[in-house]
Amino acid sequence: MTDATAMSGDDLNFIQRIRRDYSPLVIIMVGLFLFVFVAGATLTDDFLTWFNVKTIIRDAALVGIMAIGLTFVTLSGNFFLLSMKEIAALSIICFATLMGADWNQWGPADGDPTTSALMTTFLVAFAATMIIATITGAMQGALIGLGGNPIVVTLGAAGLFFGIGSWWSDNLVVSYRRPHGAEWLGTGSFIGDIPNITVAFIIIAILAELTLRYTTFGRQVYLVGANRAAGRATGHENFGMAIKCCIIASVCAAFVAVAFSGQVSSAHVNYFSSEFGSSGDMTIMVIAIVMVGGNSIMGGYGSTLRTSLGAIFISSIDNMMVLNGFNSGARVLAVGLMIVFSIIVFALVRRGSRAVE
Amino acid sequence: MERIKHFVTENPDLVFAILLAVGVFTFFAITEPLFFTHRTGFAIMERFAVLGLVGLALTLCIIAGEIDLSIGSNAALAAVITVRFTDDWGAVNALLLALAISTTIGAIQGYFIAYLRIRAIVLTVGTLMLLRGVALFAAEEKTVMLTDFRIPDFISTKMLVYFSPASLLVIAMFIIVGLFMTYTRYGREIYAIGGARKEALASGISLQRPMIIVFAISGFCAGLGGIIIGLRSGTAQALGLQYLLLAGTVAAFIGGVSILGGKGGVIGAAIGTLTVNFLNTGLVFNVTPSFMVQLYLGILLLVVIMFQTGSRVFDERQRRSQLLNDADRRRSILADKIAELRRPSG
Repeated sequence: MTDATAMSGDDLNFIQRIRRDYSPLVIIMVGLFLFVFVAGATLTDDFLTWFNVKTIIRDAALVGIMAIGLTFVTLSGNFFLLSMKEIAALSIICFATLMGADWNQWGPADGDPTTSALMTTFLVAFAATMIIATITGAMQGALIGLGGNPIVVTLGAAGLFFGIGSWWSDNLVVSYRRPHGAEWLGTGSFIGDIPNITVAFIIIAILAELTLRYTTFGRQVYLVGANRAAGRATGHENFGMAIKCCIIASVCAAFVAVAFSGQVSSAHVNYFSSEFGSSGDMTIMVIAIVMVGGNSIMGGYGSTLRTSLGAIFISSIDNMMVLNGFNSGARVLAVGLMIVFSIIVFALVRRGSRAVE
Repeated sequence: MERIKHFVTENPDLVFAILLAVGVFTFFAITEPLFFTHRTGFAIMERFAVLGLVGLALTLCIIAGEIDLSIGSNAALAAVITVRFTDDWGAVNALLLALAISTTIGAIQGYFIAYLRIRAIVLTVGTLMLLRGVALFAAEEKTVMLTDFRIPDFISTKMLVYFSPASLLVIAMFIIVGLFMTYTRYGREIYAIGGARKEALASGISLQRPMIIVFAISGFCAGLGGIIIGLRSGTAQALGLQYLLLAGTVAAFIGGVSILGGKGGVIGAAIGTLTVNFLNTGLVFNVTPSFMVQLYLGILLLVVIMFQTGSRVFDERQRRSQLLNDADRRRSILADKIAELRRPSG
């Protein structure tokens, strides 16, 4: 056996490899999170039932899909978009307005519309929503790519999108008649009793992970995020990368908006704000998931798999606390503590690795 | 005349801010007959009392090269604490407790940012959620309310036509912070770590002291703003006040701070806040719904950012082309010389 094979770690067992790749602090943190999870799961009645597990993953799906989109932005070194919930708000208004407006054109004037009419309406509304989302994403991405600070750009964009959404809907609830094509996505299920939105979450998570690992684009995201100067030197400017990643994040947000609208058959700009959601506003929840999942907020390190696990983890902690009768204050506090804790641990790890350099 | 010219060339951002403020004011003064009155002046100063504090806090943070996202949550927490305990302990005690808590939170944030060497946005997005949870906890998930309305009445008593105790307090705060930033070593350290952090650290400034000071002031301002809102309206909500971040950021950027840090000042913050207030108040006259105000603020912020980013990209281009031109010129001079040397003599 030569030194080279020892260095490459082929002869290390699982535990040794983990000790080589991760700092003790991270292992302790993951252990602590696992401990909380297992302790909670065993102490909470009715937690480990099939129905509850399904609920947890379904709750994780909506924020999880958004967080997977945002992970691309974070990995490419552009921090995060503070406008996630406003993009979703604009998309949901666009979707619901079109679902309501095109109703009579495609179907017969009286009586139930045909299935094909339902599908056409849905597809037109869906396509228009995605186009709007692409435009919003590209706009923010271009500003960020030119060198605008992501936080400030998206803070301004958030105000703009929310304003446009409220103006378009007159700040009213836009509702449309059932049955409609979006129900299939929102509340339907085609594999047994697993909701379609859960299936969509799993498919998107797998696709995103494969994209990041095995495609050229995915490798470029990591390169630009880890070392912007190296990226520029090899011809991968952040301009194009920021636009692509922001479009991915926006489209994910719009997809979530469509699915949510399908569940409630209506839309309002405040559906994703703190007044509506259980644990504070959606943007912060999404950022929390990306952080708690263990992605480096400075870019270049992490994966969408971590994000998906983070979504399921936060969702199960939330579920556990609901089952044990905690109020929303305690739940928001728990999520806040988890974010701050993981930020501090990862910062300490990074600090440690710098000192070695 | 010469002095004015000097002032304009020295402070282009401040002049732009003043022009924008005067422009917005004149526009509404002409189009709205009720805008240019004593009552409206008082209303604008009342808004200034809250937004000015947030604008000031964000200006200081951005001067130091960071941004404090938790400002809305901090303000909401202070508002909830004050309103909740005013009935039991008296307004002054509740107010001091809330101020102490929000200042301490700010200082702790500053300490962690300096100690862990992380960007403030990373930590403050976490504390945004955390403080919201604390505020919900403190308010027991309810809207807390005052029963004794003498204090709200006192806070918005009219004084000297335009002012109230709240706005006078805020103006005093602006003057104190302005003097601190300009004339003390600590204030100049804040500029230094914002404008040229590596150089500042290399010359022996510790990162910790300016960061703690900046975020403590930011927490203090956010807390005071929250207290004024809470006491004035007599109610407080744990999930409210999040709109302060956008409005405050717009005010700071109009006031001439640069996202790269090290630029801007308290006078700019005051003028930026006044511009936002003119816009807000003027739009209210037009019966504009509040979401439209948000839309305008968003556009304003994007325009300012586009302007700043554009000028930076332009500067870089110019510097680069200058460099290339210089290199070309040197090369041509050298080529001439070499040709001269190679020429067979005689």
